[in-house]
This record gives sequence, C-alpha cells and structure tokens, in this order.
Amino acid sequence: MLADIINPYFLQILSFILINILLAISVYVPLSSGQLSLGSAGFMGVGAYTSALLTIHFDIPLIIGILAGACVAGILGIIVGIPSLRLSGVYLAIATLGLGEVIRVIFVNWESLTKGSIGLTGIPQMGREILNFAKGFGFDPAMIGLKSNQFVYLVIVLILLLLVIATIWFVVRQQNSRVGRSLSSIQMDEKAAESMGINITYYKVLSFTQGAFLAGLAGALFAHVMGYISPSDFSYHRAVEILIFTVFGGSEVILGAVFGATFLTLVPEVLRFISDYRYIIYGIVLIILMAVRPQGIFDIHLLNRLKGLKRSKGGVR
Amino acid sequence: MKVLVRKTIGIMTVLMLFILAACSGTSTETGTESESGDNTEQASGTLSAKIGVVSYLTGAGAAYGEAITQGLKLAQEEINEQGEVNIELVIEDSAGEADQALSAAQKLMNDDEILAIIGPTLSTEFLAVAPEADLNGIPIIGTSTTVDGIPEIGDYVFRNAIPESLAIPAAMEKAVERTNAKKVALIYGNDDAVTKGGFEVMERTAKEMGLEIVATETFQKGQSDYNAQLTKIKNGNPDLVLASALYNEGAVIMDQARKMGIDVPFVGGNGFNSPQAIEIAGEAANGLIVGTPWFGESDDPKVVEFNEKYEAKFGKLPDQFAAQAYDALYIYADALKRAGEADRDVFRDALAETKDLEGLLGNFSFDEIGDVVMDVTVLEIKDGKFVEFE
Repeated sequence: MLADIINPYFLQILSFILINILLAISVYVPLSSGQLSLGSAGFMGVGAYTSALLTIHFDIPLIIGILAGACVAGILGIIVGIPSLRLSGVYLAIATLGLGEVIRVIFVNWESLTKGSIGLTGIPQMGREILNFAKGFGFDPAMIGLKSNQFVYLVIVLILLLLVIATIWFVVRQQNSRVGRSLSSIQMDEKAAESMGINITYYKVLSFTQGAFLAGLAGALFAHVMGYISPSDFSYHRAVEILIFTVFGGSEVILGAVFGATFLTLVPEVLRFISDYRYIIYGIVLIILMAVRPQGIFDIHLLNRLKGLKRSKGGVR
Repeated sequence: MKVLVRKTIGIMTVLMLFILAACSGTSTETGTESESGDNTEQASGTLSAKIGVVSYLTGAGAAYGEAITQGLKLAQEEINEQGEVNIELVIEDSAGEADQALSAAQKLMNDDEILAIIGPTLSTEFLAVAPEADLNGIPIIGTSTTVDGIPEIGDYVFRNAIPESLAIPAAMEKAVERTNAKKVALIYGNDDAVTKGGFEVMERTAKEMGLEIVATETFQKGQSDYNAQLTKIKNGNPDLVLASALYNEGAVIMDQARKMGIDVPFVGGNGFNSPQAIEIAGEAANGLIVGTPWFGESDDPKVVEFNEKYEAKFGKLPDQFAAQAYDALYIYADALKRAGEADRDVFRDALAETKDLEGLLGNFSFDEIGDVVMDVTVLEIKDGKFVEFE
C-alpha cells in the first residue's frame, strides 16, 4: 500500500516545490526590510556550483558541501550587501539583477572550472548517497517495503521538508523578535527607524545576507537533487520566476511565499494534459491576480480574517 | 508558538490539497492521452508498445520540439499502418528547462508500460535526464543532442543525432581540401552547450590538421553586432572561418562579415544547417559549408516521399530535426520487431545491435557505446540554395 502511494514522479515534484519554497523565502526575507533583491538566481548558482565542485573534486561529504555552498553565497551577500545599501527600491532591484547576470557570465566563461555552458555532470545525488550510506549498515529499502528509487526520492523529500520547516520556524521566530521588529520598522520608514536608534546598516545587511544564504542553500540542494547543473539554470528567467513566487503568494506574510512557490510550481505540472496551453494559462493567472489582488493572495488582513473564522467556527478551514 | 503550529498545519493542508489535485490531474491525463495517442485498430499478433517523448514544446525554442514531434507522429502513422508493431506515443513538454525535463521524464519512467524514451530536445536537458533513465533501466535516445559525451552516460543511452565530432571534421576536411586553407579563424557562441561543444571539436580538428588558428572570438546568444569580433578576424586574414553558431546568430555574423569584406568560406556546425540561414542572410549566406546527415533537397526517393507526406500533413517542409526524429522512431520500431517483446532489457539489447538500417538520413548503425555510425553529407550554400559540396 505504502509502496503504491510513493511515486518518484510526485516526490520529484514535491522536492522541486520545497526547493522553490526556500527560494521564495530568500526573496521574502530581504523584502521584509524593504529591500527588493533580484539576485536570488545568482546566489542560488553560487551555492549550487560551490557545493557541486567541492563534492565532485574533493570528495567531501554532501552535508559539508551544501553548507559550504550556502555560506559562500551568504558571504557574497555580505560583500555585495554593504555597498548596495546606498541603493533602495528599484535601483537595488536593478543592481542585484545585474549581479545575477555577472555571476552567470562568470559560470559561462570560467571554463576550466565550470566547463562553461555545457555544465557540470556527475554531481553526487543526495538520495543515492544516503542509500549507499545506509546500505553500509546493512539497511535495504526492501525491508520497509520500498524499491530503491522510491527510497531515494522519499529521503530527499524528507530532508528538504525538514529544512523548509526549520527555515520557516526560524524566519517566524525572527519576525516576532527584536530583530524582526527592527526589520519591519525599516521597511515602514527608514529615517524614523534610524532616529529611534535602530542600526539600519546592520539590519539591512543582515536580512540581505540571510536571503543570499537561503538562496545558496536552495541552489546547493538543487544541484544535489538534479545531479546536473548548467549556467542556464540560473538565468534572469529564474530570478523573475522566484520573485513571482513571492509576489503572487503575497509578500507581506511568509505564508504567501510558501503558497506562491507551491502553487506556481504545481500549475504547470497539473496542466500537463493541455501541454501547449499550460504556460498561457500560467500567464493569464498571473495577470488576473495582479489586476485583482496586487498585494498577492495572502496578506495580513486575510490572515486575520482566517484566524477570526477559525475562532468562531472552531477550527474549520 | 501557537501561531507557528497553526501556520505549519495550514501549510501542510495546502500542500496536501495540491498533492491531491496533482494526483487527480494525472489520472484524467492518462485517459486523454491514450485516446489521442493512436486510433489504429489493434490487430491480434501485433506487438504494441508505449514510447515516451519529452520535447521542447513551449518557450523560445518550441520550433525544435514541434518539428521533432511532427516527425515522430508521421513515423508513428506509417509504422502502425504497416501493422507489424503498434506504437503509442506519450508526449510531454519540457519547456526547455532541465528541471522540467527531469520531472516529465520521471513521470514517463514511472509508468511501467513505457518501453523507452525519445528526447529531451536540448543537450542541457538530456544530460540531466539520461543518467536517471539509465539507472532506471529505460532505453533513451537523443534525436537532437549533439554534444560530446552523451552515449557515454550509460548502457541505456543512445543517440541518432550526428554528433558535432562527426559532422564538423567531415565538413572541415572537404573545405580545406578545396580551398587549400592554411590559416583559420574561429568564432563561437560561448553560452550555449551546442555551439560551445562545436567549437571544441573545431579547435581540436584544426590542430590535428595542422592549421594555424589566427583568431578565436566569442559571442553571446541574441547579440546583434559582431563588428568587434569580425574586425579581429579580418586582421588575421584567414583562409577559412569556422563558425560554431546557431542559424539565427550565424546568419547575422555572415551578413556582417560579407559587408566588412570577409569573402572566405564559412564552415558551420549542425545548428547552422537550416534554410532559415539563407532567409536571414540572403546572398551573404553563399559560401557556408556544413556537414550534416540531412539534405532536404536530395533526390533520394525516400527523402522526396518524406518531404511530400510531411508537407501534406503539416503544411510546411521538414527540417533536420523532424527527419532525425522520424528516423529515431523507425530505429525503435526495428529494434522492437527484433526484440519480439516489449521488455525494456530485451529491447535495449536489440537496440544496441541495430545495424545498417536504411533510414531517411542514410545507412544507420550504433557503435558499441550507442553512438552514431553514419556517413556525413557535406553541403554548401551556392546561389541561395543548399547543394552537395563537390
């Protein structure tokens, strides 16, 4: 029974959804301090290439590779974040978009390391590495009634799910802390926040770096789920896609980012049966939403209404 | 903390809802596909098989995917009419993205009835999908993937697209033979896997042939002004320009080169071989030499018949991609006949033994790793038309 439900195709989609949720959050976090960053695709690429190259060439454990990928992206975030603090709004968006393109062009041209546009093949796949590791202890997926490939994808999804929950937990906790309140006061009015004694330089760099770190983490995970990456995976197109996740779902609340990534990853898959038209529908959905609900599906008012509803009807949702 | 728990539960609910939606989506989908897939009556004793196709059907390069699926559909119709085997195609879109291609392929591989896969279209998609198919033991064939190192991925990975490492050296040899070229200049698109792969082959071949490389220039996709690169090439005074470009950029490069006074012949790769190149560059396209398996204006009766049928069905002339896809399905059908049963492993072994199959593109065999063994035709554009190179 269990084995029938666990289907590598669904698990694969689910793992892309979870990675996209991380990416959407990586835009949401800088946005919560009023910084619109379009560099996510670039940071994602840095994370992916760092982790992939380290694990391919130096044979280091995946977990260290992934952490290194996220950290390198985070450090790049600090380096880029400090000078770009002078910019705000649309200027920051353009600067970060430029950064993403510069990173992609570096991947294309640094051929001795990145193999240029052909991309990196043979990146260790997370699930399979774990399967081999587990087999070393005499574990066989057949013992719990699963085929090897089902086990592989199930493990990937579980790891990603844990990471996503941990990330959401962290971001929500941070929002309700002193740091979060500082960030939202900066978003409301930078001058006022500064005059209240908030160190805006510190907090802006902090949120920008967190975004870069999360994007790098998502990129590293992407590399080890796909097993193959090329610069075209981290193009301008990806940056816009990530931004749409957050804007579509609602950029005021974290639930919006999660919902946007989930919904917009699923739509093209669910609509596969009308393959030629699916991206037309995707586009129409976006246009309608932006016309009717420019703040995105979820905003604070809607959440409050939902909460009110739950209280009065006893948790019906 | 309460809020957090509530939110997490909320997220889970949404996730679950969508998984359910996804499940129901797929079940309806299989229904429609089997209806539209094939309507020939299944005679008793015919061997039927489902072939999965992953193709680039939406997005910037949708024209490639369309040509491929049309070629496949024409071949499917003919094969099913002959009656020995009955092939059903299940076509999925990849939108030209590696992750989408992997999802689509995953969906196909997960269906136990799928015997083998054709596609994905782009080399960058194929490199992501093929290792997965190989691990799952499902034969996969690339019809348009020309970069180095594709059949080397595994035992279940094949291709019938002429690799650049076969097409380009053939064209270069003939071009050098006629022009007695000593000095060559290279120009290539460095942000595309195909043109980059083509460049590597050109550079290697030029070194092997003892040609002097006077300039190596790069450009990016969608660039419109090549004067800087072409000036450097002109200063090197080459006898031959090796241009690894897709036709849309390649044609513009040739146009600007001719205007600048570079009159030497150009040698291009697979992607440059398109009637579109003549359309864009006009007279400037004269003197382009390409190595290709596909010569649309050949008077071979097979090719003539294919052109007629294709035009009647789809209202336009086929290109190289349609022809290669058409041949790929014939290769599959032939292997299926010899395998005698729709079993993935038996089928793979039969496929690997494919030898001297007469297709549109000529006499076709696989070598021991599953790569193409085939004669390459060298074509040249003369007076605004592709003709065989003499």
